[in-house]
Amino acid sequence: MTSRRAFLKSVARAGLVLAIDGKAFCGADTNADFAPNAYIQIGPDNSIRLWVTRTEMGQGVRTTLPMMLADELEVDWSQIQLEQAATVPRFKGIRLRTSGSGSTVGTYNTLRKAAATARVMLIGAAAEKWGVEPATCRAQSGAVIHPASGRKASYGQLADAASRRPVPENPPLKDPKDFRYIGKPMKRTDGSAILTGKAIYGLDMRVPGMLYGVVKRCPYLKGSVISFDRTKAMRVNGVRYVVPIESGLATGVAVVADNTWAAMKGAKALEVQWNPGPNRNFDSDRFLREMEDALSESGYFVRGDGDAGKAAALAERKLDAVYEFPFQVHAPLEAMNCIADVRAGSCEIWVPTQAPTTAQEATAKQLGIPVDAVKVNITLTGGGFGRRLFVDYVPEAVGISKAIGKPVQVVWTRSDDMRFGFFQPPSIVRIAGGFDHAGKPLFWNQRSVGCDLSMFGFPDEKALADPRHYFNDGSPWGSFDNPYNFPNLQADFVRRNSAVPTGPWRAVEYPAQVFARESFIDEMAHAAGRDPLELRLELLQPGDVLKLGDAKIDRGRLINALKLVAEKSNWHQAPFTMPGRLWGRGLACNIYSDDCFMAQVAEVSVGKAEGDIRVHRIVCALDCGRVINPLGLGGQTESGVTWGLTATLHGRIDFRNGTAVQENYGDYEVIRMHEAPVIETHIVPSELPPGGFGETAVPPVAPAVASAIFAATGKRIRRLPITSEKLRA
Amino acid sequence: MPKYSLRVNGQVRQVEADPEMPLLWVLRDLLQLTGTKYGCGTGICGACTVHEDGRAARSCEVTVSNAVGREYVTIEGLSASGDHPCQRAWIEEDVSQCGYCQAGMAMTAAALLAEKPHPTDAEIDAVMSELVCRCGTYQRIRKAIHSAASERKATR
Repeated sequence: MTSRRAFLKSVARAGLVLAIDGKAFCGADTNADFAPNAYIQIGPDNSIRLWVTRTEMGQGVRTTLPMMLADELEVDWSQIQLEQAATVPRFKGIRLRTSGSGSTVGTYNTLRKAAATARVMLIGAAAEKWGVEPATCRAQSGAVIHPASGRKASYGQLADAASRRPVPENPPLKDPKDFRYIGKPMKRTDGSAILTGKAIYGLDMRVPGMLYGVVKRCPYLKGSVISFDRTKAMRVNGVRYVVPIESGLATGVAVVADNTWAAMKGAKALEVQWNPGPNRNFDSDRFLREMEDALSESGYFVRGDGDAGKAAALAERKLDAVYEFPFQVHAPLEAMNCIADVRAGSCEIWVPTQAPTTAQEATAKQLGIPVDAVKVNITLTGGGFGRRLFVDYVPEAVGISKAIGKPVQVVWTRSDDMRFGFFQPPSIVRIAGGFDHAGKPLFWNQRSVGCDLSMFGFPDEKALADPRHYFNDGSPWGSFDNPYNFPNLQADFVRRNSAVPTGPWRAVEYPAQVFARESFIDEMAHAAGRDPLELRLELLQPGDVLKLGDAKIDRGRLINALKLVAEKSNWHQAPFTMPGRLWGRGLACNIYSDDCFMAQVAEVSVGKAEGDIRVHRIVCALDCGRVINPLGLGGQTESGVTWGLTATLHGRIDFRNGTAVQENYGDYEVIRMHEAPVIETHIVPSELPPGGFGETAVPPVAPAVASAIFAATGKRIRRLPITSEKLRA
Repeated sequence: MPKYSLRVNGQVRQVEADPEMPLLWVLRDLLQLTGTKYGCGTGICGACTVHEDGRAARSCEVTVSNAVGREYVTIEGLSASGDHPCQRAWIEEDVSQCGYCQAGMAMTAAALLAEKPHPTDAEIDAVMSELVCRCGTYQRIRKAIHSAASERKATR
């Protein structure tokens, strides 16, 4: 990506226009062969505009991107105007997509280089104008100055001349010690809009003449509509249309009305006969037991170092355990929604989504029109967490708008959102491990039974014919990239898919695998009478780099995170005591996608009443390379920990008779303030390239809490959520 | 459809609506006050919280016919220029992530502070635990409430 050339081009009206990483936009001049990924524009009026090509969903991309720009271009924070990129011709060739904790990491080098290119050209333009050497000028606060003569010209004044200058191939990047913004705590750019009700999320978008649609969805997995009677729905005040739909995930019938409430009321009143289809007996408990039975099968190769089978026969002390992780739902607070306005030969969409380009392509296909005839506008997003990488709500809106010839906003009810998503699939993981006669860790053998994530497409027969398919895929995350250096390590994967749509959830495959892996390390430590921190440190040597395919994982960075968390959590001191409660600490760690290293210590206490578990504090230490915005990093850590804690203590989705059971925050409980622990974020200083941390804090939470409960009570948690274990002191 | 006269953010607003229509949808779809959010529709997440005669109320649970004769304030009307102590504290503590729940959070906190100018952590928990933030911003919300409380004290 970084090898592509950045360059500039003048646009008479607009001043200096800079396209990063590809060809500049200028009407028909756009060339799709290049893939630009962000845009800057400097206007003659001295405006600095930055097009944000990622979706803001809480991760702070509308704050970190302007920070990088302000630093490298040398402009003031207040000068920058943010624009949200849409799927319009000038961004053609760029895939608008936000995933994998990559918003900041994916733009760090390219955005900085593009901004530095512009800075060099602006300085060049000023130097030429003044007849001085560029080296005697410098950029500062949106202007070029010549200190020797006291001359100064604003970027706006220089924009046109700068755009005619040659493009430097390798503009010097700013020395990090001179950063004014990067590395400093910066507050969210949308903070004020959010707190005054001015921030526009998908559900807040209004288009002239727009109606509101609510879909009565077939409750059964892959069921269908036999018939419907629109009479009662049409009697509801404000209901205009009843439209059957077959797009999206669930077939159903849409009720379209003058307002959301009438559409909801109409959908309730609508009478539909469902064909429950082939999955009417699907039961998630039974599915989990089937997955457990599948542990007896041999799986696809995931990883193999040494000979775990032979080593197991030689081991002096051996143990094994099975861990379980249920179906989970994303449940972002803003339910799925989409506005579509289908016109003759074109369509415009307004949608909070992580995958605008996917939505554009799907719509073009659905309507049989060229991709360019579809414009997708991206709104603020009330939580993404992976759910909004799917665009199933888009064809619903498109289909309805096409049918009625008016713009329509499809609104998912909370119950729709809970029951008709792409769920985090369940996992069953069995691990066996042991020590040799000298007490050294000897082998690790992990078998994971799980589902493929539909986001990445189910592997076809040809892919599966390769016994190393999952190794090549690096999957499952957390088992494949197990950081511990066992001389004999084996991992495999048994596939068990179901009728339930599955997709990535925050931290993707890590949560289930890391729960098992880190819990088992804790079990091994206790079995051998070792300190869980010391055992981990023995299995991670400084300077030791784990090479897996293209990935290089520096185990030393995980050591640094472990040592820091131990220090900050007083790991080596006795835990607190309180009459009537048992206290304990638990440790866990993980490496997210080979560039973000996190260790956590959870402090919990367990009371005498059934299920009385309190998580008091979670101390986090991480090395994620250079930190762009420490304030945002703290927020993402707090957010990830809370997400992980919901899954640890409460979260599960059940299916009975082919239907999702939970349908609101009452029966899918999430952590609320009274359960929220104190969360500390400690950073291992680093000048390495930034790593993505939007998901990093999630996976270690469950094993840290489960290990803390073991330390407190001697009871080992191997099935999530923990409250289903009916724990007490 | 029946007509109703409502008092919202200090103004009298006329609406024509189904008597059962929740205030939430009156605000959002009829009055274009979209700062009040739809989260759960059943009063258990708090995203739709507004002030009803000065107290926090779930607008998804108040029908338009029952809203007549009461005074409502939404996030758009919490202060004239976005400088209510809660709004300032929320920005200062960088509370928001996705931000979708925060209008409801700030409205609830503002009503709490009006009643208890210096709430303890336990008092904050008791009220704020009725709300959901899926981004998990609770630690900063608590801090923002304490900081708004001390600001109120300082400006008195």
